[in-house]
Parts: sequence; structure tokens; C-alpha cells
Amino acid sequence: MSADATGVIHDLGYQRYDGDRLGRAQIVRTLTVYSLRAAFGLGRGAKAKIVPVSAFALMCAPAIINAFIVARGGTRAFPYDTYSAPVRMIIMIIFVAVQAPELVSRDLRSRVLPLYFARPLRRGDYPVAKFTALATACLIMVEVPLLVLYAGTIASSHGGGAVWAQTRALLPGLAIGLMWSVTLAVIGLAIASFSGRRAYTTGAVAIYFFLSLALAEVLIGVAGDGTAGARLGGLVSPLTVLDGVRQWLGGTSPGPVPAVGSYGAAYGVMLLALVGAGAAALAARYRKAGLA
Amino acid sequence: MAGQSPGTAIARPPGAQPADPGDAFVLETTALTKQYPGRVTALDGLTVQVTPGITGLVGANGAGKSTLIKILLGLLEPTKGRARVLGLDCQLDASRIRALVGYMPEHDCLPPDVTATEFVTHMARMSGLPAVAAKERAAESLRHVGLHEERYRQVGTYSTGMKQRVKLAQALAGDPRLLLLDEPTNGLDPAGRGAMLELIARIGAEFGISVVVASHLLGEIEQICDHLVAIEAGRLLRSDTIGSFTQSSQVLLVEVETGTAELADALRCDGLDPRPAGRGLLVPMDGDTTCDVIRDAVAGLGLPLARLEQRRHRLEEIFRDEPVPAGQPSTRASTRASTRASTRASTRASTRAGTEVSHVS
Repeated sequence: MSADATGVIHDLGYQRYDGDRLGRAQIVRTLTVYSLRAAFGLGRGAKAKIVPVSAFALMCAPAIINAFIVARGGTRAFPYDTYSAPVRMIIMIIFVAVQAPELVSRDLRSRVLPLYFARPLRRGDYPVAKFTALATACLIMVEVPLLVLYAGTIASSHGGGAVWAQTRALLPGLAIGLMWSVTLAVIGLAIASFSGRRAYTTGAVAIYFFLSLALAEVLIGVAGDGTAGARLGGLVSPLTVLDGVRQWLGGTSPGPVPAVGSYGAAYGVMLLALVGAGAAALAARYRKAGLA
Repeated sequence: MAGQSPGTAIARPPGAQPADPGDAFVLETTALTKQYPGRVTALDGLTVQVTPGITGLVGANGAGKSTLIKILLGLLEPTKGRARVLGLDCQLDASRIRALVGYMPEHDCLPPDVTATEFVTHMARMSGLPAVAAKERAAESLRHVGLHEERYRQVGTYSTGMKQRVKLAQALAGDPRLLLLDEPTNGLDPAGRGAMLELIARIGAEFGISVVVASHLLGEIEQICDHLVAIEAGRLLRSDTIGSFTQSSQVLLVEVETGTAELADALRCDGLDPRPAGRGLLVPMDGDTTCDVIRDAVAGLGLPLARLEQRRHRLEEIFRDEPVPAGQPSTRASTRASTRASTRASTRASTRAGTEVSHVS
């Protein structure tokens, strides 16, 4: 070894780290926060922020419009349980289709997974962290507009009774938002985790959600109003399943699915099946992922 | 620097309890066997102990090196047998082992769209370092591998050599007690290989971190290792110190342009055992004085010395305990210093050149 090549480094020396080390749970939390930031393009380049930031702005637009309407003396323009259904469905599909691959396909593509698995994390920790991150990101996307809608409405409400009425209407809306977030995140990640090619997985997630939604609408339309076929047509798409469950749980606003009537439980079962299948696929995917 | 105290070389993170780093084995396997489904046997009763220092794990592709590393990291369950790393059981304490071991995989593992600093910081955090410490150690690790200037560039813009250094830096960032490096010189040009080996040697010698380097290139590994473990088809071929591999095996090749026979006689008189090989003589090394004896003999006879260089067995041959094939040099390139006069000077130069060249191969 020649002295000139090593001299500088030799002078600086190597220092041992003997400070605190975080446990596995804290490492999982760190990965979750890191992934959540990545879901909004934080800590990444400007290009990575375009989709999440504009999606978020568009999601909030109806709530902001509502604030103006209410301030001019109108009533609340959007219900808490469906919000603006077409806006929410389209934007959330795009958000999940772009950000689920950002969270998992990217790591597959760059083959960085072995580095995670060679650290204190266990196999199952990685998908759990990624799911928690994307579900939280979806929750922010869905719930923040609801809170803006709520804030804009109560700002022009008079009296405690009016505020309490708004609050009571908001809470089921937040619960439905949570249901949306979990469902979209687990399905999006399950599809995205099957390939490292982001273009493919983004396409696959978007095609699955959009095609199944279109199919559901066609089925509902073909069956005609009030028939059992129309009531069950929504079962083919995760987004209409979510709407069916909303109605089953007591949501009264009109949504993409016509009144589900006595078939509500079928939507509940379907939702559990979809989430279960997504979780199982995700777990299987990362049980198999090896070092290479 | 918060949380770091220079000079405490034996400080350990909580949870680590290897007894005495001086005499404990950094890794130890007992009858380790791994069979993949379909009756593929990757490891076959491997029993080996590795002491602190730099250890070469050599074997052809498919010999079981990667399987062994996966078992050591607790990522694969052995079919039979046991493995311990830093005194911890690979199946029971996998999580703790992985906190103490840095791993550099053979393949690419870097996302192109982040800077080296961000990536190594994140990986340090994944090793359990708090945010501030992770940032500091990422910067330090990148400096140690020689990427201080370029650390804010996106990894995708790096050359292969720089990427290999980032891979090493991320393994180093968590302050491991043991580094597992899988083919660290893969894809590098000769200069890059040399630099990487130098870096590994420094990590072992100056940083006080034990290193296990898996490689199929014996010529590289012997330059930096204290200890060599050779495996073939999942079995141990040989495990020994590097010195014991090379000491017995060194020979000198002497070529004179005329008077080979006279020189052979002269050397026999001096107590050496020259054997004819091609156009020259092979003389077994017998301590440090052999070179001098040959030089004096050549000078005494006034012969034109064409070549004097060190030859070694190929390590593969050593492992199989085969005799050295006469006239088959281990050096891929041989240096000819065809000097007639000034025997002494050319002897030195030629010997040195021969040794260095043999290291490049």
C-alpha cells in the first residue's frame, strides 16, 4: 500500500460508534416514515413531487370551493361520506397507481431489498412498513379534504348545535376514509410488488382500478334500475365495493352504486376478501424475496 | 462528535456479548449442511472456524459461498448443523447478528435517483442508528471509501468503481464488528480492483473490523487476507493462514543466457536444490538468503542474468496438494529484465517486478 494513496484517510482515522442503537420496532417506524415521505416525493427530486402534490391540491379543491359557497350563505356542497365521488375515485386511483410502485417497485428494481434483509429487520417488517406508509399517505389524501370541508362549513355555522351536527356527520366520513385508505393501499402494493418495472406496475394498478370501475358501471347500467343485477354489479370493482359497504353501514348520500338494499352484507364480505387477498399476496411476495 | 469516542476500539453496542474479541471466532460453523428443494446440496457438512482479521472465502461459482453468507445472516435456515457469528447463534440471534454485521452483496443494490449521502444515511438508520448519528457516520463512511467530494451526486451518475465504494460504505456505516463482502471487486478494472483491495486491507488492519471476503479470484484474495478458507461443492477444502499456504510453496526462477549448467553446479555447492525448468532453473526458497546466494553465484561466475523472479503455486494447486508443475508460472505476465552486467541491481529490480506483476493477475 502506497502512503500517498492512503495518507489522508489514515490521518482522519476510523471512529467506533458506541452510542445508542434503535430496536427493531423503531427501525420499522423509521422505514415507515421514510416511505411516507417518499409517497409525497419528500426527500426526492422535484419530479417525484409533481403527481402527489397536484393530486393533493385537486383533492382539496372541492372542499375549498365549498368554503366559498358556505360563506356566501349556501349549504354544505359535498357530503362527508362520499365527498365528491368522481373526483375522489379518479384522483385516488392515480395517486395509488403512481405512489405504490414508488414505494415497492423501485426497491425491487434497484435490488436494494437484500440490504434491508441483511439488517435487523425481518422479512415481514418490510411489507408492513410499506403498507402503513401508503395507507397513511392515502389517509392524508382522503381525510385532509374532509377536514377542510368541515372547517370551511363550521366557519360559517352559527351556534353550537350546527357545529355538533357537522361533527356528527364528519365522523362516519372519516371512518369511510380509513376504509378507503387501507383497501387502496393493500391492493395497490400487492399489484406493484410483483415487478420492479415502475411503468408496468403503474399501468397494472391503474388498469385494474379503472377497468373494474368501468365494468361495474356497465353492469349496473345494463341491469337497469332497482334490479338485483344493478345492486350486485358493484361487487366487481374495489371502489364500488367500498361504496356498497358505505351504504350498508348507513351512508345515505347517493354514490356510484345504486341502493344496495339487502345485498349490503355481500359488499362487506367482498371488501374483506379483497383486503385479505391483497394482504396475502403481499405477504407471500416478501416471504419469497431472497437475497438476490 | 456526539456518541462517538475515538480510541475506544473495543466498545460494543448493547446486546453484543462476544466474550473476548482476541480469541473468539468471528464465525464458526459445525457440520453445516444446506439442501435446497430438488436435492441440490449447496453446503455439505461444512465445519470451519474463522478468527478475527481478513479472511478470504474462496471457491468457484456455485461452491456455496453465497449460501453460507445467507445462513450467517440468518436469512436461510440450514438443513443441518449450526453456525455462529460473533459468538451468537445464527438461528436464534439472527436479528442481533445482523445489527453487528455489514453486508456488501455481489450484485447492484443501489437506487439511482438518490444521492450517496441520502442512501448511506438511510441504510445506517436501517442498521439502528439514530438520525443524527446516521448522518455523521454516512459522511464518515463515504469519506473512508474515498467519495467525500462526490457524496451529494446522484448514485445513478456514478461509475462502477464508485458504486462499489457506495456499497462498501453502506456496509460500513452501521459500525459493524464483521463485514461480509461478496465479490467486492466484481466488474472493476485492474486499477479499481487494486484500490478496492487496498481499501479492504485498510478496513481490516486500521479500522479493526474483521472482514470475510468471498471471491472466486484467488490471486486477488491472497494479497489481502490473513486467513484463507477454500470451499468446493459445499465442502471445506482447506482452511489455514495465508502464510502457511505460500511459505512452503515459493520458488525462484533463475534464467541466465549462457552457463545454466555451471550455475546449477554452483548452486548445489551452496546447498540449494536447483531443478532445470525450461530455459532456466527453479530454486526452492530457503529463507531470505536464497536470493543473495543466487545473486552471488551468478556474479561469481560472471554470467549474464536474464531473469530472477518469484514463482508461486497457483492457489488452486495448493488446495489440492499437487506438486508444482515445472515451468508453469503462476504469473500471467512475466517481466524480462534482460541485463547483462550490474547483476546486483537488476536482480533486485527483476525480483520486485516479478512479485508485483504476480499480484496483478
